[in-house]
Amino acid sequence: MIPVSIQVRQALGKLVLPVLLLLSVGIIIAGQADRKLADTARMYVADALAPLWGLIAHSQTDISHLVQGVKDARHLAEENAKLQTENAKLRRWYDVAVSLARENDSLKTELHWVPEPTPAFVTGRVVADSGGMYARAVLLVAGTTSGVHVGNVALATNGLAGRVTEVGPHAARVLLITDIASRLPIELESSHATAIMAGDNSPMPRLMYYPQDSRPIEGERVVTSDQAGAFPMGLPIGTVHYLHPGQPVVQPFVQLDKLTMLRVFDFGQSEIEPPEAPGHVPLTRPHRPLALPFKTLLGQGQEG
Amino acid sequence: MSEPSPPSWDPDLEPRLTFGQKLDRTARHLLPSAFIVLVIIFFSAPLAIPGSAELLSAIVIGSVFFWSVWRPTGMPALAPFVLGLFMDLVGFTPLGVSSFILLLVYGISSYARFGLMRMNFLVVWFLYGLIGGAASFLQWALACLFRLHGLDPAPALFEALLCIGVYPLLSATFSWFLHILDEKESA
Repeated sequence: MIPVSIQVRQALGKLVLPVLLLLSVGIIIAGQADRKLADTARMYVADALAPLWGLIAHSQTDISHLVQGVKDARHLAEENAKLQTENAKLRRWYDVAVSLARENDSLKTELHWVPEPTPAFVTGRVVADSGGMYARAVLLVAGTTSGVHVGNVALATNGLAGRVTEVGPHAARVLLITDIASRLPIELESSHATAIMAGDNSPMPRLMYYPQDSRPIEGERVVTSDQAGAFPMGLPIGTVHYLHPGQPVVQPFVQLDKLTMLRVFDFGQSEIEPPEAPGHVPLTRPHRPLALPFKTLLGQGQEG
Repeated sequence: MSEPSPPSWDPDLEPRLTFGQKLDRTARHLLPSAFIVLVIIFFSAPLAIPGSAELLSAIVIGSVFFWSVWRPTGMPALAPFVLGLFMDLVGFTPLGVSSFILLLVYGISSYARFGLMRMNFLVVWFLYGLIGGAASFLQWALACLFRLHGLDPAPALFEALLCIGVYPLLSATFSWFLHILDEKESA
Protein backbone atom coordinates (compact mmCIF):
# COMPACT_ATOMS: atom_id res chain seq x y z
CA MET A 1 0.00 0.00 0.00
CA ILE A 2 1.22 3.53 -0.73
CA PRO A 3 2.24 5.22 2.52
CA VAL A 4 -0.13 8.21 2.96
CA SER A 5 -1.07 10.05 6.10
CA ILE A 6 -4.31 9.19 7.90
CA GLN A 7 -5.84 12.57 6.99
CA VAL A 8 -5.25 12.04 3.28
CA ARG A 9 -6.59 8.54 3.52
CA GLN A 10 -9.77 9.76 5.24
CA ALA A 11 -10.23 12.51 2.66
CA LEU A 12 -9.81 9.96 -0.13
CA GLY A 13 -12.28 7.67 1.62
CA LYS A 14 -14.87 10.45 1.65
CA LEU A 15 -14.29 11.09 -2.04
CA VAL A 16 -14.95 7.52 -3.14
CA LEU A 17 -18.76 7.67 -2.96
CA PRO A 18 -19.22 10.93 -4.95
CA VAL A 19 -16.71 9.76 -7.55
CA LEU A 20 -18.54 6.44 -7.95
CA LEU A 21 -21.90 8.23 -8.17
CA LEU A 22 -20.55 10.48 -10.91
CA LEU A 23 -19.07 7.45 -12.64
CA SER A 24 -22.44 5.67 -12.64
CA VAL A 25 -24.14 8.76 -14.08
CA GLY A 26 -21.39 8.79 -16.71
CA ILE A 27 -22.07 5.14 -17.50
CA ILE A 28 -25.81 5.86 -17.84
CA ILE A 29 -25.09 8.65 -20.31
CA ALA A 30 -22.46 6.63 -22.19
CA GLY A 31 -24.84 3.66 -22.34
CA GLN A 32 -27.56 5.87 -23.81
CA ALA A 33 -25.18 7.49 -26.30
CA ASP A 34 -23.54 4.31 -27.55
CA ARG A 35 -26.15 1.63 -27.25
CA LYS A 36 -24.20 -0.83 -29.36
CA LEU A 37 -21.35 -0.93 -26.83
CA ALA A 38 -23.78 -1.57 -23.96
CA ASP A 39 -25.47 -4.35 -25.91
CA THR A 40 -22.12 -5.97 -26.72
CA ALA A 41 -21.13 -5.87 -23.06
CA ARG A 42 -24.48 -7.40 -22.13
CA MET A 43 -24.05 -10.19 -24.65
CA TYR A 44 -20.57 -10.99 -23.29
CA VAL A 45 -21.91 -11.28 -19.75
CA ALA A 46 -24.90 -13.32 -20.91
CA ASP A 47 -22.60 -15.59 -22.93
CA ALA A 48 -20.45 -16.21 -19.90
CA LEU A 49 -23.42 -16.88 -17.61
CA ALA A 50 -25.43 -19.00 -20.05
CA PRO A 51 -24.10 -22.38 -18.77
CA LEU A 52 -24.92 -21.42 -15.18
CA TRP A 53 -28.43 -20.41 -16.08
CA GLY A 54 -28.72 -23.62 -18.07
CA LEU A 55 -27.86 -25.56 -14.93
CA ILE A 56 -30.47 -23.71 -12.86
CA ALA A 57 -33.14 -24.07 -15.54
CA HIS A 58 -32.31 -27.76 -15.95
CA SER A 59 -32.58 -28.58 -12.27
CA GLN A 60 -35.76 -26.55 -12.08
CA THR A 61 -37.40 -28.51 -14.90
CA ASP A 62 -36.28 -31.74 -13.24
CA ILE A 63 -37.91 -30.74 -9.97
CA SER A 64 -41.11 -29.59 -11.62
CA HIS A 65 -41.26 -32.86 -13.61
CA LEU A 66 -40.92 -34.80 -10.39
CA VAL A 67 -43.69 -32.82 -8.70
CA GLN A 68 -45.90 -33.12 -11.77
CA GLY A 69 -45.25 -36.86 -11.90
CA VAL A 70 -46.40 -37.33 -8.34
CA LYS A 71 -49.48 -35.22 -8.99
CA ASP A 72 -50.35 -37.05 -12.21
CA ALA A 73 -50.04 -40.47 -10.64
CA ARG A 74 -53.35 -39.95 -8.83
CA HIS A 75 -55.38 -39.52 -11.99
CA LEU A 76 -53.82 -42.28 -14.09
CA ALA A 77 -56.85 -44.53 -14.56
CA GLU A 78 -59.16 -41.62 -15.32
CA GLU A 79 -56.73 -40.20 -17.83
CA ASN A 80 -56.16 -43.56 -19.47
CA ALA A 81 -59.86 -44.00 -20.22
CA LYS A 82 -60.05 -40.47 -21.56
CA LEU A 83 -57.02 -41.01 -23.77
CA GLN A 84 -58.37 -44.23 -25.19
CA THR A 85 -61.60 -42.60 -26.34
CA GLU A 86 -59.62 -39.68 -27.70
CA ASN A 87 -57.26 -42.05 -29.50
CA ALA A 88 -60.18 -43.78 -31.22
CA LYS A 89 -61.52 -40.41 -32.29
CA LEU A 90 -58.11 -39.29 -33.55
CA ARG A 91 -57.63 -42.50 -35.53
CA ARG A 92 -60.73 -41.61 -37.54
CA TRP A 93 -59.37 -38.11 -38.08
CA TYR A 94 -56.04 -39.58 -39.13
CA ASP A 95 -57.74 -41.50 -41.94
CA VAL A 96 -59.53 -38.34 -43.02
CA ALA A 97 -56.29 -36.38 -42.93
CA VAL A 98 -54.40 -38.95 -45.00
CA SER A 99 -57.08 -39.01 -47.67
CA LEU A 100 -57.21 -35.20 -47.70
CA ALA A 101 -53.43 -34.96 -47.98
CA ARG A 102 -53.49 -37.36 -50.96
CA GLU A 103 -56.24 -35.36 -52.58
CA ASN A 104 -54.32 -32.14 -51.92
CA ASP A 105 -51.18 -33.63 -53.47
CA SER A 106 -53.00 -34.79 -56.57
CA LEU A 107 -54.68 -31.39 -56.95
CA LYS A 108 -51.35 -29.63 -56.60
CA THR A 109 -49.83 -31.80 -59.32
CA GLU A 110 -52.78 -30.99 -61.56
CA LEU A 111 -52.21 -27.27 -61.00
CA HIS A 112 -48.36 -27.30 -61.42
CA TRP A 113 -48.03 -25.80 -57.92
CA VAL A 114 -44.67 -24.13 -57.10
CA PRO A 115 -43.57 -25.63 -53.74
CA GLU A 116 -42.62 -23.25 -50.95
CA PRO A 117 -39.08 -23.47 -49.58
CA THR A 118 -38.80 -25.23 -46.21
CA PRO A 119 -37.39 -22.82 -43.64
CA ALA A 120 -34.24 -23.79 -41.77
CA PHE A 121 -34.55 -23.81 -37.99
CA VAL A 122 -32.60 -24.49 -34.82
CA THR A 123 -34.00 -25.25 -31.38
CA GLY A 124 -32.54 -23.81 -28.21
CA ARG A 125 -33.25 -23.97 -24.51
CA VAL A 126 -34.44 -20.76 -22.86
CA VAL A 127 -31.98 -20.18 -20.04
CA ALA A 128 -32.65 -16.69 -18.76
CA ASP A 129 -35.52 -14.36 -18.46
CA SER A 130 -33.42 -11.28 -19.11
CA GLY A 131 -36.38 -8.96 -19.04
CA GLY A 132 -36.79 -6.98 -15.87
CA MET A 133 -39.86 -5.14 -14.70
CA TYR A 134 -40.09 -3.02 -17.80
CA ALA A 135 -39.01 -5.41 -20.54
CA ARG A 136 -39.99 -8.80 -21.83
CA ALA A 137 -37.13 -10.75 -23.37
CA VAL A 138 -35.52 -14.16 -22.97
CA LEU A 139 -32.06 -15.56 -23.60
CA LEU A 140 -31.62 -18.60 -25.78
CA VAL A 141 -28.63 -20.99 -25.93
CA ALA A 142 -28.17 -20.81 -29.70
CA GLY A 143 -26.00 -18.21 -31.34
CA THR A 144 -24.24 -17.34 -34.56
CA THR A 145 -22.36 -20.65 -34.39
CA SER A 146 -25.68 -22.44 -34.84
CA GLY A 147 -26.82 -20.10 -37.58
CA VAL A 148 -29.05 -17.70 -35.68
CA HIS A 149 -29.21 -14.17 -37.08
CA VAL A 150 -30.77 -10.92 -35.96
CA GLY A 151 -34.35 -10.72 -37.19
CA ASN A 152 -35.02 -14.46 -37.15
CA VAL A 153 -38.43 -15.56 -35.94
CA ALA A 154 -38.74 -17.50 -32.67
CA LEU A 155 -41.65 -19.92 -32.40
CA ALA A 156 -42.73 -21.91 -29.37
CA THR A 157 -44.72 -25.14 -29.72
CA ASN A 158 -47.99 -23.53 -30.70
CA GLY A 159 -47.32 -20.02 -31.91
CA LEU A 160 -45.14 -16.98 -32.33
CA ALA A 161 -43.00 -15.99 -29.33
CA GLY A 162 -40.83 -13.17 -30.63
CA ARG A 163 -37.90 -12.10 -32.74
CA VAL A 164 -34.13 -12.35 -32.30
CA THR A 165 -32.71 -8.91 -31.52
CA GLU A 166 -29.13 -9.58 -30.44
CA VAL A 167 -26.83 -12.49 -31.17
CA GLY A 168 -23.63 -13.62 -29.52
CA PRO A 169 -21.57 -16.67 -30.50
CA HIS A 170 -23.48 -18.99 -28.16
CA ALA A 171 -26.54 -17.06 -27.06
CA ALA A 172 -29.28 -14.99 -28.62
CA ARG A 173 -31.74 -12.58 -27.07
CA VAL A 174 -35.35 -12.88 -28.18
CA LEU A 175 -37.63 -9.88 -27.76
CA LEU A 176 -41.05 -11.26 -26.90
CA ILE A 177 -44.23 -10.03 -28.56
CA THR A 178 -45.42 -8.63 -25.23
CA ASP A 179 -42.51 -6.18 -24.85
CA ILE A 180 -43.31 -2.51 -25.09
CA ALA A 181 -40.85 -2.16 -27.98
CA SER A 182 -42.57 -4.88 -30.02
CA ARG A 183 -44.85 -3.83 -32.87
CA LEU A 184 -45.82 -6.44 -35.43
CA PRO A 185 -47.95 -6.35 -38.56
CA ILE A 186 -50.71 -8.93 -38.15
CA GLU A 187 -53.75 -10.17 -39.98
CA LEU A 188 -57.15 -11.05 -38.55
CA GLU A 189 -57.84 -14.46 -39.99
CA SER A 190 -61.56 -14.37 -40.74
CA SER A 191 -61.82 -10.82 -42.12
CA HIS A 192 -58.30 -10.72 -43.68
CA ALA A 193 -57.96 -7.21 -42.26
CA THR A 194 -54.48 -6.07 -41.31
CA ALA A 195 -53.61 -4.37 -38.04
CA ILE A 196 -50.67 -3.70 -35.74
CA MET A 197 -50.13 -5.63 -32.55
CA ALA A 198 -48.32 -3.49 -29.98
CA GLY A 199 -46.87 -4.93 -26.78
CA ASP A 200 -47.23 -3.02 -23.52
CA ASN A 201 -45.34 -5.34 -21.12
CA SER A 202 -48.65 -6.85 -20.02
CA PRO A 203 -49.40 -10.50 -20.91
CA MET A 204 -51.81 -9.43 -23.67
CA PRO A 205 -50.57 -7.09 -26.43
CA ARG A 206 -53.01 -4.52 -27.80
CA LEU A 207 -54.44 -4.35 -31.32
CA MET A 208 -54.09 -1.03 -33.11
CA TYR A 209 -54.90 0.49 -36.48
CA TYR A 210 -57.46 -2.10 -37.51
CA PRO A 211 -59.92 -0.96 -40.19
CA GLN A 212 -63.04 0.61 -38.75
CA ASP A 213 -65.34 -1.31 -41.09
CA SER A 214 -64.07 -4.73 -40.03
CA ARG A 215 -63.46 -4.70 -36.32
CA PRO A 216 -61.79 -7.67 -34.63
CA ILE A 217 -64.30 -10.22 -33.40
CA GLU A 218 -63.96 -11.85 -29.99
CA GLY A 219 -62.22 -15.22 -30.38
CA GLU A 220 -60.97 -14.53 -33.90
CA ARG A 221 -57.56 -16.02 -34.73
CA VAL A 222 -54.68 -13.58 -35.22
CA VAL A 223 -51.81 -14.55 -37.55
CA THR A 224 -48.72 -12.74 -38.82
CA SER A 225 -48.92 -10.67 -41.96
CA ASP A 226 -46.15 -10.47 -44.53
CA GLN A 227 -46.44 -6.71 -44.83
CA ALA A 228 -43.04 -5.01 -44.55
CA GLY A 229 -41.39 -8.35 -45.20
CA ALA A 230 -40.45 -9.06 -41.59
CA PHE A 231 -42.55 -12.21 -41.18
CA PRO A 232 -43.93 -14.86 -43.46
CA MET A 233 -47.68 -14.99 -43.81
CA GLY A 234 -49.89 -16.89 -41.42
CA LEU A 235 -47.83 -17.81 -38.35
CA PRO A 236 -50.35 -18.27 -35.52
CA ILE A 237 -50.13 -15.68 -32.74
CA GLY A 238 -53.29 -15.85 -30.66
CA THR A 239 -56.95 -15.00 -30.43
CA VAL A 240 -58.74 -11.67 -30.11
CA HIS A 241 -60.13 -10.85 -26.72
CA TYR A 242 -61.94 -7.73 -25.53
CA LEU A 243 -60.80 -6.55 -22.11
CA HIS A 244 -63.17 -3.56 -22.35
CA PRO A 245 -65.54 -2.57 -25.14
CA GLY A 246 -63.53 -0.98 -27.96
CA GLN A 247 -60.19 -2.21 -26.60
CA PRO A 248 -59.22 -5.41 -28.38
CA VAL A 249 -56.14 -7.31 -27.19
CA VAL A 250 -54.51 -10.52 -28.37
CA GLN A 251 -54.38 -13.52 -26.09
CA PRO A 252 -51.20 -15.31 -27.26
CA PHE A 253 -51.32 -19.06 -27.84
CA VAL A 254 -47.88 -19.32 -26.26
CA GLN A 255 -47.50 -19.13 -22.50
CA LEU A 256 -44.81 -16.46 -22.65
CA ASP A 257 -44.04 -16.55 -18.94
CA LYS A 258 -43.26 -20.28 -19.02
CA LEU A 259 -41.00 -20.66 -22.05
CA THR A 260 -38.58 -23.59 -21.95
CA MET A 261 -37.68 -24.21 -25.60
CA LEU A 262 -37.83 -22.00 -28.67
CA ARG A 263 -37.39 -22.84 -32.33
CA VAL A 264 -35.64 -20.10 -34.27
CA PHE A 265 -36.63 -20.06 -37.94
CA ASP A 266 -34.77 -18.42 -40.77
CA PHE A 267 -37.51 -17.84 -43.30
CA GLY A 268 -35.11 -15.99 -45.59
CA GLN A 269 -37.67 -13.21 -46.05
CA SER A 270 -34.95 -10.74 -47.01
CA GLU A 271 -33.93 -12.91 -49.96
CA ILE A 272 -37.31 -12.51 -51.66
CA GLU A 273 -36.83 -9.56 -53.95
CA PRO A 274 -39.53 -8.34 -56.26
CA PRO A 275 -38.55 -8.06 -59.92
CA GLU A 276 -37.41 -4.67 -61.18
CA ALA A 277 -40.27 -2.41 -62.12
CA PRO A 278 -39.93 1.11 -63.57
CA GLY A 279 -41.38 3.73 -61.26
CA HIS A 280 -41.53 1.29 -58.37
CA VAL A 281 -41.17 2.96 -54.96
CA PRO A 282 -39.46 0.66 -52.42
CA LEU A 283 -41.71 -0.16 -49.48
CA THR A 284 -39.11 -0.12 -46.73
CA ARG A 285 -37.27 3.07 -46.07
CA PRO A 286 -33.48 2.95 -45.62
CA HIS A 287 -32.56 2.23 -42.02
CA ARG A 288 -31.69 5.23 -39.89
CA PRO A 289 -30.72 5.26 -36.22
CA LEU A 290 -33.62 6.24 -34.01
CA ALA A 291 -33.20 8.64 -31.16
CA LEU A 292 -35.59 6.84 -28.81
CA PRO A 293 -34.14 4.07 -26.66
CA PHE A 294 -35.05 0.44 -27.34
CA LYS A 295 -36.65 1.19 -30.70
CA THR A 296 -33.47 -0.02 -32.39
CA LEU A 297 -33.93 -3.43 -30.79
CA LEU A 298 -36.57 -4.25 -33.35
CA GLY A 299 -34.26 -3.82 -36.31
CA GLN A 300 -35.45 -2.57 -39.61
CA GLY A 301 -38.48 -3.39 -41.62
CA GLN A 302 -40.99 -2.75 -38.84
CA GLU A 303 -42.21 0.63 -39.88
CA GLY A 304 -43.02 0.14 -43.55
CA MET B 1 10.76 21.72 24.29
CA SER B 2 10.43 18.33 22.85
CA GLU B 3 7.15 16.55 22.90
CA PRO B 4 7.26 12.94 23.83
CA SER B 5 7.10 11.40 20.41
CA PRO B 6 4.16 9.08 19.98
CA PRO B 7 5.13 5.47 19.61
CA SER B 8 5.60 5.08 15.91
CA TRP B 9 2.72 3.05 14.60
CA ASP B 10 3.40 0.90 11.67
CA PRO B 11 0.91 -1.53 10.22
CA ASP B 12 3.79 -3.87 9.48
CA LEU B 13 4.43 -4.29 13.21
CA GLU B 14 1.10 -5.99 13.76
CA PRO B 15 1.33 -9.71 14.37
CA ARG B 16 1.47 -11.07 10.89
CA LEU B 17 -1.59 -13.01 9.80
CA THR B 18 -1.21 -16.56 8.71
CA PHE B 19 -2.38 -17.52 5.25
CA GLY B 20 -5.47 -19.15 6.68
CA GLN B 21 -6.38 -16.03 8.65
CA LYS B 22 -5.90 -13.85 5.59
CA LEU B 23 -8.13 -16.13 3.59
CA ASP B 24 -10.71 -16.09 6.35
CA ARG B 25 -10.71 -12.30 6.51
CA THR B 26 -11.02 -11.91 2.73
CA ALA B 27 -13.89 -14.40 2.66
CA ARG B 28 -15.63 -12.43 5.41
CA HIS B 29 -15.27 -9.17 3.49
CA LEU B 30 -16.47 -10.69 0.24
CA LEU B 31 -19.36 -12.64 1.76
CA PRO B 32 -22.15 -10.05 1.29
CA SER B 33 -21.12 -9.27 -2.30
CA ALA B 34 -20.85 -12.96 -3.15
CA PHE B 35 -24.29 -13.54 -1.67
CA ILE B 36 -25.77 -10.74 -3.78
CA VAL B 37 -24.04 -11.97 -6.96
CA LEU B 38 -25.51 -15.44 -6.41
CA VAL B 39 -28.95 -13.93 -5.80
CA ILE B 40 -28.72 -11.94 -9.04
CA ILE B 41 -27.67 -14.99 -11.07
CA PHE B 42 -30.32 -17.16 -9.47
CA PHE B 43 -33.19 -14.73 -9.94
CA SER B 44 -32.32 -13.88 -13.54
CA ALA B 45 -32.68 -17.55 -14.49
CA PRO B 46 -36.15 -18.42 -15.80
CA LEU B 47 -37.86 -19.31 -12.55
CA ALA B 48 -41.48 -20.12 -12.03
CA ILE B 49 -41.58 -17.58 -9.20
CA PRO B 50 -44.04 -14.78 -9.95
CA GLY B 51 -42.53 -11.30 -9.69
CA SER B 52 -38.94 -12.50 -9.52
CA ALA B 53 -37.67 -9.28 -11.15
CA GLU B 54 -39.17 -7.16 -8.39
CA LEU B 55 -38.05 -9.59 -5.71
CA LEU B 56 -34.48 -9.44 -7.02
CA SER B 57 -34.33 -5.64 -6.73
CA ALA B 58 -35.93 -5.80 -3.28
CA ILE B 59 -33.42 -8.36 -1.96
CA VAL B 60 -30.42 -6.51 -3.41
CA ILE B 61 -31.52 -3.15 -1.98
CA GLY B 62 -32.23 -4.75 1.42
CA SER B 63 -28.87 -6.52 1.54
CA VAL B 64 -26.92 -3.39 0.59
CA PHE B 65 -28.79 -1.45 3.27
CA PHE B 66 -28.23 -4.05 5.99
CA TRP B 67 -24.53 -4.56 5.38
CA SER B 68 -23.72 -0.88 4.97
CA VAL B 69 -25.41 -0.16 8.31
CA TRP B 70 -24.18 -3.10 10.38
CA ARG B 71 -20.93 -4.18 8.79
CA PRO B 72 -19.50 -1.56 6.39
CA THR B 73 -16.25 -3.54 6.08
CA GLY B 74 -18.26 -6.16 4.21
CA MET B 75 -19.77 -3.53 1.92
CA PRO B 76 -17.19 -1.01 0.62
CA ALA B 77 -18.47 1.74 -1.70
CA LEU B 78 -17.15 -0.15 -4.69
CA ALA B 79 -19.42 -3.14 -3.99
CA PRO B 80 -22.84 -1.49 -4.69
CA PHE B 81 -21.35 0.06 -7.82
CA VAL B 82 -20.03 -3.21 -9.22
CA LEU B 83 -23.11 -5.17 -8.13
CA GLY B 84 -25.44 -2.62 -9.73
CA LEU B 85 -23.46 -2.71 -12.95
CA PHE B 86 -23.61 -6.51 -12.94
CA MET B 87 -27.38 -6.36 -12.35
CA ASP B 88 -27.78 -3.99 -15.29
CA LEU B 89 -25.61 -6.16 -17.54
CA VAL B 90 -27.58 -9.27 -16.66
CA GLY B 91 -30.96 -7.59 -16.82
CA PHE B 92 -32.50 -5.17 -19.22
CA THR B 93 -32.27 -1.87 -17.33
CA PRO B 94 -30.16 0.88 -18.94
CA LEU B 95 -26.51 0.47 -17.91
CA GLY B 96 -25.63 2.28 -14.69
CA VAL B 97 -29.14 2.86 -13.36
CA SER B 98 -28.98 0.16 -10.68
CA SER B 99 -25.44 1.25 -9.74
CA PHE B 100 -26.71 4.77 -9.23
CA ILE B 101 -29.65 3.67 -7.09
CA LEU B 102 -27.62 1.21 -4.98
CA LEU B 103 -24.92 3.84 -4.41
CA LEU B 104 -27.58 6.28 -3.20
CA VAL B 105 -28.98 3.64 -0.83
CA TYR B 106 -25.44 2.90 0.35
CA GLY B 107 -24.63 6.58 0.80
CA ILE B 108 -27.76 7.33 2.82
CA SER B 109 -27.47 4.28 5.04
CA SER B 110 -23.76 4.64 5.75
CA TYR B 111 -24.31 8.35 6.49
CA ALA B 112 -27.04 7.55 8.98
CA ARG B 113 -25.58 4.34 10.32
CA PHE B 114 -24.60 5.55 13.79
CA GLY B 115 -28.10 6.92 14.30
CA LEU B 116 -29.74 3.82 12.89
CA MET B 117 -27.72 1.36 14.97
CA ARG B 118 -29.07 2.82 18.19
CA MET B 119 -32.71 2.55 17.17
CA ASN B 120 -35.35 -0.07 17.74
CA PHE B 121 -35.75 -2.65 14.95
CA LEU B 122 -39.25 -1.39 14.09
CA VAL B 123 -37.98 2.17 13.60
CA VAL B 124 -35.11 0.93 11.41
CA TRP B 125 -37.61 -1.11 9.43
CA PHE B 126 -39.83 1.92 8.95
CA LEU B 127 -36.89 4.10 7.84
CA TYR B 128 -35.72 1.33 5.54
CA GLY B 129 -39.25 1.23 4.09
CA LEU B 130 -38.91 4.91 3.20
CA ILE B 131 -35.52 4.32 1.55
CA GLY B 132 -36.73 1.22 -0.33
CA GLY B 133 -39.85 3.03 -1.50
CA ALA B 134 -37.79 5.97 -2.70
CA ALA B 135 -35.41 3.61 -4.53
CA SER B 136 -38.31 1.83 -6.28
CA PHE B 137 -39.87 5.14 -7.21
CA LEU B 138 -36.52 6.40 -8.57
CA GLN B 139 -36.16 3.22 -10.63
CA TRP B 140 -39.62 3.76 -12.07
CA ALA B 141 -38.93 7.44 -12.78
CA LEU B 142 -35.64 6.65 -14.54
CA ALA B 143 -37.32 3.91 -16.60
CA CYS B 144 -39.98 6.45 -17.65
CA LEU B 145 -37.29 9.01 -18.47
CA PHE B 146 -35.33 6.65 -20.72
CA ARG B 147 -38.42 5.42 -22.55
CA LEU B 148 -39.81 8.99 -22.82
CA HIS B 149 -43.08 7.36 -21.95
CA GLY B 150 -45.17 7.21 -18.78
CA LEU B 151 -44.97 3.61 -17.58
CA ASP B 152 -47.29 1.74 -15.30
CA PRO B 153 -46.31 2.56 -11.68
CA ALA B 154 -47.83 -0.68 -10.34
CA PRO B 155 -44.56 -2.73 -10.55
CA ALA B 156 -42.72 0.03 -8.67
CA LEU B 157 -45.35 -0.06 -5.92
CA PHE B 158 -45.14 -3.83 -5.82
CA GLU B 159 -41.36 -3.62 -5.57
CA ALA B 160 -41.57 -1.09 -2.73
CA LEU B 161 -43.95 -3.39 -0.84
CA LEU B 162 -41.67 -6.38 -1.47
CA CYS B 163 -38.72 -4.28 -0.24
CA ILE B 164 -40.52 -3.60 3.01
CA GLY B 165 -41.83 -7.13 3.35
CA VAL B 166 -38.59 -8.96 2.65
CA TYR B 167 -36.46 -6.86 5.03
CA PRO B 168 -37.26 -8.62 8.35
CA LEU B 169 -36.40 -11.96 6.74
CA LEU B 170 -33.11 -10.64 5.32
CA SER B 171 -32.30 -8.89 8.57
CA ALA B 172 -32.93 -12.02 10.62
CA THR B 173 -30.80 -14.17 8.29
CA PHE B 174 -27.92 -11.72 8.17
CA SER B 175 -28.03 -11.10 11.93
CA TRP B 176 -27.82 -14.81 12.54
CA PHE B 177 -24.89 -14.96 10.16
CA LEU B 178 -23.12 -12.07 11.88
CA HIS B 179 -23.70 -13.78 15.21
CA ILE B 180 -22.02 -16.97 14.00
CA LEU B 181 -19.11 -15.02 12.49
CA ASP B 182 -18.59 -13.05 15.71
CA GLU B 183 -18.66 -16.21 17.78
CA LYS B 184 -15.97 -17.69 15.57
CA GLU B 185 -13.96 -14.49 15.89
CA SER B 186 -14.00 -14.52 19.67
CA ALA B 187 -13.37 -18.23 19.91
